[in-house]
Amino acid sequence: MVARIEILISGFGGQGVVRIGQILGQAAVNQGLYTTMLISHGTETRGGYVRSQVVISDAFIDSPVVENPAYFCAFSPIAYGMFKHLCNRQTVILHNPNLVTADPASDACHRAIAGETLAERELGNAQYANVIYLGVLSAHCGLLVPEHIVTAIRQRLPERSHENNIRAFELGREYTL
Amino acid sequence: MKRIFDTGNAAITEGAIRAGCNLFAGYPITPATEIAENMSRRLPQVGGYYLQAEDENAALHICNGGSIGGLKAMTATSGPGFILFADAFGWAVSSEVPVVIVNSQRVGPVSGITGAPGQGEFYLSRYLTHGGNYETIVLAPASVQEAYRLTVRAFALAERFRTPVIVLADQMVTDGWETLELPETDDEFAALGLEVVPRRINPGPEFYPASDEIDVPPVVLGHNTGAACSDWTPTDRGHDTEDITWQHKHAWRLIHKIVNNRQLIDEADEWFLDDDPEIILVGYGTPSRVIRSAVGEARKSGLKVGGIRLISLWPFQSHLFTRTACYLVVELNWDGQLVREVERAAADGSNVHFWGRCGELPSMAELLDTVRQLLDNEPLQRDGWRTEKW
Repeated sequence: MVARIEILISGFGGQGVVRIGQILGQAAVNQGLYTTMLISHGTETRGGYVRSQVVISDAFIDSPVVENPAYFCAFSPIAYGMFKHLCNRQTVILHNPNLVTADPASDACHRAIAGETLAERELGNAQYANVIYLGVLSAHCGLLVPEHIVTAIRQRLPERSHENNIRAFELGREYTL
Repeated sequence: MKRIFDTGNAAITEGAIRAGCNLFAGYPITPATEIAENMSRRLPQVGGYYLQAEDENAALHICNGGSIGGLKAMTATSGPGFILFADAFGWAVSSEVPVVIVNSQRVGPVSGITGAPGQGEFYLSRYLTHGGNYETIVLAPASVQEAYRLTVRAFALAERFRTPVIVLADQMVTDGWETLELPETDDEFAALGLEVVPRRINPGPEFYPASDEIDVPPVVLGHNTGAACSDWTPTDRGHDTEDITWQHKHAWRLIHKIVNNRQLIDEADEWFLDDDPEIILVGYGTPSRVIRSAVGEARKSGLKVGGIRLISLWPFQSHLFTRTACYLVVELNWDGQLVREVERAAADGSNVHFWGRCGELPSMAELLDTVRQLLDNEPLQRDGWRTEKW
């Protein structure tokens, strides 16, 4: 039974904000759950502001709005500043410490993961950072079966990148918070 | 059913293909570009035609031309392109051309903000061309699944009523990703309450009867109808005239074929209206989903709150507002559009309030706060923007 879980991902265009949402949503559908993902973005494809609001439930979802996020992937200072007010002590905020500094006034649970550095070091390309964060989220959340997420990665990402993305996902799952 | 995860743009595309669409002409614009992209890929697979036009006015004229040539046509755009339909839309209305128009509303006026939702074309969709003397059919999906259903329905209504039908979506529906169940068999399709109305051909020689009849096959040029399709007032044989009597008959048909058969168009959801709720929340499109959550939550805490979601917007369903009540109309705009129509339709003694914002959906918490303020007779004030009267 999954009443309703809300996940917010936001950052710059090009960081894979929408991709994480797509993979989560696809995995949820693979697992027989309902899901919604709202996308908000600026005009630019890269560098602009992007946000995915993902809701997963075992029943049809009425409001697709994330207002009590269980997870917030904060990939830019602007995104963090815009949405940290939605987070409470039940929220886990995954952030890149090189870009986002945790606000000491926030009572959310901040987890700093240098995803880009890890991706660069292990996979030779910082672009895989988003899937590392997805792996961390998946290991912590436990709602979605990892096999469904791997299948979703294969369904949603270009074939040439499957191997590295699945490796990135595993790196994230193995990451100790 | 095939259960997939996809966007409203994909759902609209699949709905159109299932409904027999075989012509798409359009001009790309966020957040409806993917409809054009998807149609350019899907139409050749089903023997249809895809054409990128030089602009939106041309796109709709191409659709009109294709429809008069016997094709089932669709175009899709957002606000800045929608306004350019003004001329071609008039042709479609007056020449009684079945065509489907999708508008994914974003923030306006003009280019506004691309990747954020708005609801600024409620009235524009009613009066998309000049001159009056017509009624418009407008359907408003609130989810990816409903975008599929209403696209199929729009094609059926367009054929039966010989008129353009507008699917008025918003950026959250078209750009949003959601669980989508696509029927794989005819039985599953029919179980969704859907039908495909194939293109029939008016045998002529009469143009259209001066009556409110629907299901009169549309004129398809080259099929011995003897009827011309032009922007002038038609006689009963489709010849141009400037005679005011014929003009009256023509206008009467354009108006009454729709209003007298509106039971085939009207659609709405009503939530918790049976116990005289103290407040009724009203909306359409994606905000109506937050309304539904807020109404459910309010009920859990013992508040007598109800909700109305409009699925068909035009002709306006005034009959839904015959209760004397306190209405709170929630819209994705700052100026208040639907609220004006609710104010007009609401029974005497009703109070009609407005909650508006553009570019961002309301949260359930915000709507519940507003409900409590109204129940406590507090004036509505928020950041200097929300006003009691628009």
